[in-house]
Amino acid sequence: MAGRIVGAIGSSHAPSISFAWDAGHRDRAEWKPFFDAYEPVKAWLKGLAPDVLLVVYNDHFNRFKLDAYPTFALGCADRYPVADEGSGPRALPEVPGHAALSWHLARSLVADEFDPALCQELALDHGVMCILPLLDDPPWTMKVIPLAANVVLHPLPTARRCWKLGEALARGVASFPDDTRVVVMATGGLSHQLHGPDFGFVNPEWDLEFLDRLERDPESLLALTHDDYMDRGGAEGVEVILWLAMRGALSGRPFKRVHRHYWAPMLTGYGLIALEPT
Amino acid sequence: MSAGAPRRIAYTGEQSRRGYHMTKLFASLTDPAARAAFKADPDGAMRAAGFSDAEIALVHAREFNALLERGVAIYALGKAGRALGFTLVDAGARMRGETVEAFLASRPLALGTAVRG
Repeated sequence: MAGRIVGAIGSSHAPSISFAWDAGHRDRAEWKPFFDAYEPVKAWLKGLAPDVLLVVYNDHFNRFKLDAYPTFALGCADRYPVADEGSGPRALPEVPGHAALSWHLARSLVADEFDPALCQELALDHGVMCILPLLDDPPWTMKVIPLAANVVLHPLPTARRCWKLGEALARGVASFPDDTRVVVMATGGLSHQLHGPDFGFVNPEWDLEFLDRLERDPESLLALTHDDYMDRGGAEGVEVILWLAMRGALSGRPFKRVHRHYWAPMLTGYGLIALEPT
Repeated sequence: MSAGAPRRIAYTGEQSRRGYHMTKLFASLTDPAARAAFKADPDGAMRAAGFSDAEIALVHAREFNALLERGVAIYALGKAGRALGFTLVDAGARMRGETVEAFLASRPLALGTAVRG
């Protein structure tokens, strides 16, 4: 009996996904291909019946402000409120946590030389909450453990550091004494740039290459610098290094791809991938 | 779509310190009370937060590129937009120097060729 990683997901996030969901726009032409892509993943998750969704994501000044900005921050609570991002509260219930596993991961990570801020209050922004309703129905059946990473204020953790974080998380899950089924999810990316005269930069060719390499040759992505990622995928697209934490959690394990989708209609290359250890 | 690497401002420590007071105010707009105070009197809130007259003028003129150069973080600017009534696409078109209509017309979905894979 032990913790076990039973699946891994990579997904983009964007505030517009929350807006579209809340406004009931999922069947509109500009959104239907996006939302439909999550249905097979939602069905797969239902079959997997994970106890915990461990989400590596980034906050957008909704929980963490410039006064104190953590490189990594681990949720260690039994519940997490949904953040007000500046437009008022969303009509979603708070999210249950799994404090026992969080604190186990905190001990394991620190012993493993990762030193996250330990958060007993962590309002979840769209980095988690634009995707959760696409994968689970409220009241939520999965408990969530959020792990926020800094991909906003340079210096950022390296791509390799994110990969190693994923490996460390996998060790932490495996050493949890209780039988607990965990799905690791990373959110962010793919290519997008939201500022300056090149606002709207999207690079589908690079996004598709990234998805290929992430699956088959992830170590080739670890030596890329932040400038490499930003040159290819836009400044805000550097978020995609968080996917290496998800993929690192499957390091050395055989897996099958359950689902992959890509859709670049507007401001962001929306990627979705689901992997299952075999 | 842009050819080559996109022009960008890396949000470094130096950059964040330059615009700290502006980013701090805009990021605080997640708090309903701060938001209400800002909406009721934007100039007063900006002055209280230490904005110069020139910075306040840039906000009113929607000179977003200049604000970013002065150290406003893009995610904080988005919160100012939620309070002041401009969307991300409004801001983006302005930063590109084109109309919202022209920007939307340049998007793949508008052309019916969104990339799938």
